[in-house]
Amino acid sequence: MKRIGVFLCHCGTNIAAVVDIPKVAEEIRKLPNVVLVAENKYCCSEPGQVDIVKAIKENNLDRVVVSSCSPRMHEGTFQNAIAQAGLNPYMMEMANIREHCSWVHAKEPEKATAKAIDLVKKAVFKVAKVQPLFEDYIPVTKKALVIGGGIAGIQTAIDIADCGFPVILVEKESTIGGRMAQLDKTFPTLDCSA
Amino acid sequence: MVVAAQHPNITLLTYAEVEEVSGYIGNFEVKIKQKARYVDMKKCTGCGLCETKCPTKVASEYDLGLGKRPCIYKPFPQAVPNKPIIDAVNCKKLVEGKCGVCAKVCPTGAVNFEDKDEYITEKVGAIVMATGFDLFDYSKTYGEYGYGELPDVISGLHFERLANASGPTGGKIKRPSDHKIPETVVFIKCVGSRDDVKGKTYCSKACCMYTAKHAMQVLEKIPNSQAYVFYMDVRTPGKMYDEFYNRALNQGAQYLRGRVSKIFQQGDKLIVRGEDTIIGQQIEVAADMVVLATAMIPTHGSDKIAQVVGFSTDKDGWFTEAHPKLRPVETNTGGVYLSGSCQGPKDVPDTVAQASAAAIKVVALLSKDQMATNPRISVVDEAKCHGCLVCKGVCPYKAIDGKVVSERAHGHTIERTVASVNTGLCQGCGACTVACRSGALNLKGFTDEQILAEVDAACL
Repeated sequence: MKRIGVFLCHCGTNIAAVVDIPKVAEEIRKLPNVVLVAENKYCCSEPGQVDIVKAIKENNLDRVVVSSCSPRMHEGTFQNAIAQAGLNPYMMEMANIREHCSWVHAKEPEKATAKAIDLVKKAVFKVAKVQPLFEDYIPVTKKALVIGGGIAGIQTAIDIADCGFPVILVEKESTIGGRMAQLDKTFPTLDCSA
Repeated sequence: MVVAAQHPNITLLTYAEVEEVSGYIGNFEVKIKQKARYVDMKKCTGCGLCETKCPTKVASEYDLGLGKRPCIYKPFPQAVPNKPIIDAVNCKKLVEGKCGVCAKVCPTGAVNFEDKDEYITEKVGAIVMATGFDLFDYSKTYGEYGYGELPDVISGLHFERLANASGPTGGKIKRPSDHKIPETVVFIKCVGSRDDVKGKTYCSKACCMYTAKHAMQVLEKIPNSQAYVFYMDVRTPGKMYDEFYNRALNQGAQYLRGRVSKIFQQGDKLIVRGEDTIIGQQIEVAADMVVLATAMIPTHGSDKIAQVVGFSTDKDGWFTEAHPKLRPVETNTGGVYLSGSCQGPKDVPDTVAQASAAAIKVVALLSKDQMATNPRISVVDEAKCHGCLVCKGVCPYKAIDGKVVSERAHGHTIERTVASVNTGLCQGCGACTVACRSGALNLKGFTDEQILAEVDAACL
């Protein structure tokens, strides 16, 4: 028996003003393996994360769905949270009911709610199949290559070098300086560019 | 420039190009071509005697053809390193076997006509792209500006060389055709920028400011001069930028809102015909010189270097950042970062800021002894893999290769090829999993079973 916890985020009014969250909760409670459905005004906030950690421990959850924003935004946040509760960080799925739902269907709340239910349901079914994943470790060569010796390449190379790492600066012309060196004075201070 | 050359942690390889890149984040191997300079860098003192004696003079690329340079040359006086190279295409000694004056006059014997290209292999943990921009070639598309045939219609970069003290005119603004000092100068903005028909859709960002600067330079350097600026919009967001533009206005720059429809030569004047949309009338200016603020485009050849290093470019050829707001200096290829205008048009302050941002990302990576890789990558079920390697062809990150496995079948040991995923290179895009005909590839975290479960959820 899997023990899935689903956390429905309001994102203030970003989601909750369009999607009927209590209705989503009601539907999701009916799904197999779901032992907890909780709502939170801001899942990503510190108290929101504490609530998730507490709920995992209290309900002995072994996997989690966070229904909120895009994983590009907060996947790392929630992975860290469930790792704090002792779960493998990959035992989590996100349902994006903000960018993919409330924001784009702001004028159709009923349809948006139906879509949110589908999206969360999808995540619940998927999370039932996930397995722990483990990171690999690779060594790092402590040296950088900068391709292009204009003002950008020069600045990057100097900054890296100042931090103590060796840098190879490659320039196709016979001198560094690039476009910058061709310029006369540069705005807004009108100082010389070479 | 000199700081970079003298920094103990920086190895400067000028007149060199990156030819090959293999490996992955933290573990790249790069092959760099050191092009033949024909001047021994160790012997040369940079005295410049050879440059004064070389009898062959050609148009200077650095001055955009506005001046001439010898065939053994430094592009400009403050060049770093301050040592010349020989232009192998035009040098009489290298082409015809005659001359050799530079070698004769060189007091240290640094000229070496036998010099060859050399290849250097280096191991690095991170790569920063800083390949910059070129200027849009208006001459092919903008017939109304004379198709590049009118000598006194120049680009903003030409103007920079004319205004620069180390440029072909010693900093005196003289028009190219007859070296007369132009009293009436017309500037045209957005040449190639914000023009989806003839040029590029984007705003090149720096032109409004440098045109204001150019107008001011004309008014300051040339007595009794007039500067007219034809514009579509004036875009000056930035600290002290709008104030700068207002300074140009206060100094007497005439801003005219409208496009120029035609430029033609009449006597020694260039007649600039355009529209002032604010007064709603056709206007004509008799100018001595016209300066076009041409669009920035990616450096010529940047698409090739993007392929060599292995990351993507956008529709205009600019290098694509991993996220426009949250990861502006990273690419989607781990360990490859973007600095300056190779990512999109930028002015100097933005370039410097982004260059430092790229540096800190590199430092964050290099500070680690080892790094964790994303576990959501492709995995091969070797039992199912036929070894067709279709996956290898579709992988944009060069992460898949064949490997030979031996196994027992029917009492014999047979060897066969299967796909193998490099865990450092794979970015988890999933392109291979859909290309695999035998279903041997799966993306961890997005396995077929997991995706089918989602389909079930949608159907049930």
